[in-house]
Amino acid sequence: MTSLFFLPRHLMTLLLGLLSAILIAESAWARGLCVEDDKQREVCMAQPAQRIAALSPGATELIYAAGAGEKVVAVVSFSDYPPEAKQVTSVGSHTRLDLERVVSLKPDLVLAWGTGNPSEQIATLERIGLTVYYVEPHDFEDIADNIKDMAILSGTEGAGFKAADDFLAGIQALADRYQSAAPVATFYQVWDEPLMSMNSRHYISKVVTLCGGVNVFADSPRLIPRLNQESVLIKNPEAILAGGMGERNAKWLEKWRAFPELLATQRDNLFFIPPSLIQRPTPRLLDGARIMCEKLDVARQQRG
Amino acid sequence: MIAPRYLIWPLLTLTIVSLVCVIAAVTQGSVALSLEQLWQAFQGQGSLLNQTLVWELRVPRVLAAFATGGLLAVAGALMQILLRNPLADPYVLGISGGASVAALLAILAGITGVFLSGAAFIGAVLSTLLVFGLAQGVGRASPMRLLLTGVVIAAGWGACITLMLALAPPQKIPGMLFWLMGDLSYAHTPWLAWLVLVPICFVLMPLGRSLNVLARGPMQAAALGVNVKQLERLVFVIASLLTAVAVTTAGSIGFVGLVVPHMLRLVLGNDQRLILPACALAGGTLVTLADTLARTVIAPEQLPVGVITALLGVPTFLFLLRRGRV
Repeated sequence: MTSLFFLPRHLMTLLLGLLSAILIAESAWARGLCVEDDKQREVCMAQPAQRIAALSPGATELIYAAGAGEKVVAVVSFSDYPPEAKQVTSVGSHTRLDLERVVSLKPDLVLAWGTGNPSEQIATLERIGLTVYYVEPHDFEDIADNIKDMAILSGTEGAGFKAADDFLAGIQALADRYQSAAPVATFYQVWDEPLMSMNSRHYISKVVTLCGGVNVFADSPRLIPRLNQESVLIKNPEAILAGGMGERNAKWLEKWRAFPELLATQRDNLFFIPPSLIQRPTPRLLDGARIMCEKLDVARQQRG
Repeated sequence: MIAPRYLIWPLLTLTIVSLVCVIAAVTQGSVALSLEQLWQAFQGQGSLLNQTLVWELRVPRVLAAFATGGLLAVAGALMQILLRNPLADPYVLGISGGASVAALLAILAGITGVFLSGAAFIGAVLSTLLVFGLAQGVGRASPMRLLLTGVVIAAGWGACITLMLALAPPQKIPGMLFWLMGDLSYAHTPWLAWLVLVPICFVLMPLGRSLNVLARGPMQAAALGVNVKQLERLVFVIASLLTAVAVTTAGSIGFVGLVVPHMLRLVLGNDQRLILPACALAGGTLVTLADTLARTVIAPEQLPVGVITALLGVPTFLFLLRRGRV
């Protein structure tokens, strides 16, 4: 009975709410401050972000690329690029955030890492009322979209859109150059112990494909398969590429010299790629991709 | 019933120490707040930022830490009585293993938030029922049977956990480790823990005398008119519930449930009427202190609280042991 009596009022409230939501969304759209993040949620800002917390090293690189570097007030451990980011206040490691410090820095935009940050902690930040944009790029387009979204939310569209377009143009140039190159069976080693690679859904595999390589573990059911040396020997890759601990440490590759039956070892196609250029989905992936493409080209020349 | 004096003084002292620790914990954080700012925030005045820091972040976490510590210490004391084994801790019967396996499965399925805690709780309860059912088997569930069944089930859960960690995508592993290490930075709400801890302490109070007798052995207890089977069942259910709630709130924080009851027995003697409420207070205090250190000592880096409980507990326990009151 009471519910019947109250129904019109509820409906009215609902309609008013909807209407105002639409109006707010419309006006926000008009100013271009609404974007969709990598969890397919709409993220809106009433005005461009002034204080930004970047909760992963990758998010830090992306927001600097978007031209909003000087608005970054919080980063996490290992946010080492660009070098200016090292001067920004750290709020702990990405797996265990110092929430007090995050909140005390009063960010108006939080760039969270969907699969890296603890969901409970990000939920707490949202409950407190902070605006959260989830970053989770899976390919070149995602990286460009992230940069553009961040530029829109920070009001730095000029610099951000240019960076995103330059990045995509660089990738396109590589694609044009290598799309008809002879295929090279390639093993990219993500980690040493345990031995890991990645399947075709991973963005590193997309770099391999871009350079005319064929990822020998592309069909693996798991995104990051854990392997043994046997499984690599049986695939007999023509080139082995690896990062390593640190930017210059090529020890992981030395182990493959023990297997002269490997085509890659016979032809000395063991190539080092600085891990920070390829293991973070950021604009620097273009530099990593360029190196990888050059190395695979070296492998083609070794065919003699 | 008026509590005798020898119960009141230790408990009063512990209560005061607990209160001081809780207040101290709220004053400490990676953001320095003066006592004046804190007082304003408590009254709902001062800057909005300070109020958020105190009410949304610090107070819930300190309360969660205290309640979790209390739950674990009481559960540990009960398990030690039930199994008549000084090495028993809340996790010895595989409760944390069951909770962790369920939580890890939920994480792998992409479940988060309240449902994840719910899964952990269901896992803990299922593991408890499994151990109890298997231990009953034929004949009476003796503590020895219960202990062995629990240890084996715990080992089984351990294998499942290792398997899941080996197969999990790397980016999910940090979230999974939380359930294995114990960490209050993920705790959402302290209320469930308090809603279980406080009533259970009141339920246990009248049982103290019977538990004292049970601790001396089931034969003596039976001879003195205690319904041993019923009491053991009740203790098992209560200890399991306490552990399940603790694990659901903060993962498997080690060491508290093993060491706090022993430390208190070394100092206060083995009277359960005193030990059980003292465990709630001392366990809560230890975890509160440990978590305060965990979140401030190398801030902004945050440590899992289990590291600190062990680092604080081991030397204290060894010191008490060497004083030779065992």
